[in-house]
Amino acid sequence: MLIRAIDGLNEVVGRVVSVVAVVFAAIIIFDVVMRYVFNDPTRWAFDVTKQLYGFYFVMLGGYALRHQAHVRVDLVTEKLGNLARRWVEVAGYVIFFFPFAWVFMTRSWDFGMTSWNQGETTYGSVQLPVYPLKLAMAVAAGLLFLQGIAEVLKLILGREVPHHDA
Amino acid sequence: QESWTMTTTWPSSLELIEIDRNFVDLANKLTGDALTIEFFEGGALVPAGEVFGAVESGTIQAGGDWPGYWAGRNSAFSPLATTASLFNAVDYVNWIQQWGGAELYNEIYGKFGMVYLPYGVTNNESGFRTNKKIETLDDLQGMRLRLSGLEQGRLLEQLGGSQVSMAGGEIYQSLERGVIDGAEFSTPNVDWSGGFQQVTTFWATPGWHQSASVFGVMVNKASWDALSPETQEALQIAADANLIWSLAFTEKRATEAYQQFEDAGIEITRYDDETLARVQEMANEVIVTTACENPDSAKVYLSQVEYLNDYAKWRDASAPFSLGRTPDGPDAEKLRECVGN
Amino acid sequence: MFGLLLAGLFMGHPLAFVLGGTAVLGALIAGKPMVLGIVINRIFGDVLDNFTLIAIPLFILMARFLSDSGVTDRMFESLRLLMSNVRGGLALAVVFISILLAATTGIIGASITVMGVMALRPMLQYGYSPTLTTGVIAASGCLGILIPPSIMLILMASYSPLSVGELFAGAMFPGILLGLLYAVWVVIVAIISPASAPAVEPDEKIERSALLRMLAIEAVPPLVLILGILGSLLAGIATATEASALGAFLALMIVIVRGKFRLRTFYSAMLETGRTSAMILFIVIGATAFTGVFNITGGLRATQEIIRNLDMAPALLIAMMLFIVFILGAFLDWTGIVLLSFPIFLPIIQEMQIDLLWFVVLMALVLQTSFLTPPFGYALFYLRAIAPREVRTGQIIAGVVPFIGLIIAMSVAVAALPQLVLWLPDTLYKN
Ligand code: NA
Ligand code: NA
Repeated sequence: MLIRAIDGLNEVVGRVVSVVAVVFAAIIIFDVVMRYVFNDPTRWAFDVTKQLYGFYFVMLGGYALRHQAHVRVDLVTEKLGNLARRWVEVAGYVIFFFPFAWVFMTRSWDFGMTSWNQGETTYGSVQLPVYPLKLAMAVAAGLLFLQGIAEVLKLILGREVPHHDA
Repeated sequence: QESWTMTTTWPSSLELIEIDRNFVDLANKLTGDALTIEFFEGGALVPAGEVFGAVESGTIQAGGDWPGYWAGRNSAFSPLATTASLFNAVDYVNWIQQWGGAELYNEIYGKFGMVYLPYGVTNNESGFRTNKKIETLDDLQGMRLRLSGLEQGRLLEQLGGSQVSMAGGEIYQSLERGVIDGAEFSTPNVDWSGGFQQVTTFWATPGWHQSASVFGVMVNKASWDALSPETQEALQIAADANLIWSLAFTEKRATEAYQQFEDAGIEITRYDDETLARVQEMANEVIVTTACENPDSAKVYLSQVEYLNDYAKWRDASAPFSLGRTPDGPDAEKLRECVGN
Repeated sequence: MFGLLLAGLFMGHPLAFVLGGTAVLGALIAGKPMVLGIVINRIFGDVLDNFTLIAIPLFILMARFLSDSGVTDRMFESLRLLMSNVRGGLALAVVFISILLAATTGIIGASITVMGVMALRPMLQYGYSPTLTTGVIAASGCLGILIPPSIMLILMASYSPLSVGELFAGAMFPGILLGLLYAVWVVIVAIISPASAPAVEPDEKIERSALLRMLAIEAVPPLVLILGILGSLLAGIATATEASALGAFLALMIVIVRGKFRLRTFYSAMLETGRTSAMILFIVIGATAFTGVFNITGGLRATQEIIRNLDMAPALLIAMMLFIVFILGAFLDWTGIVLLSFPIFLPIIQEMQIDLLWFVVLMALVLQTSFLTPPFGYALFYLRAIAPREVRTGQIIAGVVPFIGLIIAMSVAVAALPQLVLWLPDTLYKN
């Protein structure tokens, strides 16, 4: 139940956020056309695409984990028996993933809130707010953390999907 | 017995880091055993744009910077870093040490839990390096120029150009490929180390966008408070000594680099006086407009303009032996109205 | 920290989180939990707020559009027929396209995925051995970071007194020569071991006119797109980011013009791009976290001390530095290595009055191995991520070994003949 809810959440996020790549590609092309054809480049394209790109990939971290798209070295583990391999993988999550994801999540939240409280913007003649991206990073870290829980549950309950199914 | 970790916004390839290094050497000598500062070049610990956050949160105790990078958090950082067509380096030294500038640095940085010691000052920046000759303001029309700063960008837009924000490391390639029509970066010696003489043929002086610049160290308030008054004083002395050292050091290096640019066949042009007077007028407008959006910014600009007005009589009387000029700057009354907002 | 890193890797945990987790544990073990703040500062500043990395998802998107609609399969098929009289023709095509692609892209993650996505399937299908296939794709795909433009060279310039232009000029010949050396190697393999690089069957060959027609239709448009358009854009008009966006757009146009556009394929290309981009950029996240904690907890200083205390002849010291780079390359990514080693090595090189440009290019050359050497070779990981399950990790590793040898051979040549590096920059900049 919990597994399905987390999987579903990151699936929806992934399917929506993946489209953002086309959005920032379109903005870049729009800017190039405005510049070379009309000699009138936009003032905002640079900052907006940079922020959209950051938002795009970081939000997809959990989605990529749900599909086991994060690369790993399976030289040793592929030689282990199924049960042993599952426990080694669970240990990997406990030792590496959760400490990192926890720090990533909690510290990003503080980081984003500081920016929010300061109303931080970019510092050129276009003053674009920076805090939405910083807060998105915290949300993304939260999604990643949740997906980690789901993956560990799958390993423990023996309900994992094979790696690299993408 | 304190030990600090300090970094800076400059990578080791940019000569600006010498200002930080010289301060760290002085500070480590003057504070004896009471304080040890371990210095890391820019990028080794955190990226340039994150030095502020790292010191603010206390992750590291100190960070060398150019205040203008933080203008997105409070636009008052901009005049603390540089001015468009206003202060020269001596003006900054006078203002910081005797006309109340130092208190304003600490007031603005203090809002973010930091103490600030201005310890570096460089005079006029080079100006735009382009592949199309710039002599008048009309030449700026339609040009895409790399330029940093809020006031600077607005001023450029009023002059008909468009501001491109770009990290220092991207400028060379963008010039080489014609992605931008020109760029300003820093003083001549720093520009030379960036290799811009290889990808541009013209250099328009003076750098009205950045008449002088200030550099310094942000110190986390808790770390500062943990020092004894003697150690704090030693740091202040190190900063004051470094301030004057940096001026002579960069002026010497800029002189050498100017010659290098000339020898490399770069055509160096100069705006005429009429153009500079027009830039001054527009800069005044932009300064007042920008200052009036933020009382902190207005307060800093007001203090700077009051210094200029206060100093004007004696400075003008001592001409031609005066230190710089009295600019026909923005109206102090207009700024004063905006402080109270 | 390196022990922990290795342990995590062999436990089969995703690389990105092994790096990130090691950073966190390293900070805790060093008793400095406070330094964890820099992890977030670095992740935001180095990865999220980084304009140069935007090209990664866009290049992948371009490759996906072309590949998922079958356009690149047909392109490789026609190139294979074109080279039907040459043994190992398809592998040679991979090398040459990679060299050209390298001149347009500067990001290893992007060029290797582009080549992998486009060439892997056709090569395996036509009976090339998995070892040669993965080896040639992995090694050639890395040329992008050596042949200018390259984000690695830009980073090296910003961490040294050298200018980007000098470095680009200096790396040009060694990079192209290395590519040609790969081509020679492919020919040799094809001659010695015909089974691993099969020739086209005689009955498969088609008439010259039909072949030309096929080339014009199938190969020319995508090649013009990848090489011509991106190349010329980069030569004078746009940034890598803009070129990659245009590349994706034009790829889509080719797909539409060919009548291969399907909404389903289009959408799945986006999802696939999302997963691959997140995979690559989370490795960058992990690496930047690791490097930051390593530097601040004293790893940087300790390494500097050890090297400074050595007392060696210059040639021996340089050889040792490059050997250290080679060893580090097995565990770290180039960003980490450059950031770790430059502050240590460059002052020593300057003290010895050795040409800095020559040394840095030599180091860039040796760093090519870092993508290929296990356990931490990003080219291996990228390829692992996109290769079908039947291709075993062991085969991928065996495939790159000869190419590591070629890189070392090339490094020795450049060390012996500094003019290979210095001639072009001297000609361009010293008069
Ligand atoms: Na390249
Ligand atoms: Na490696």
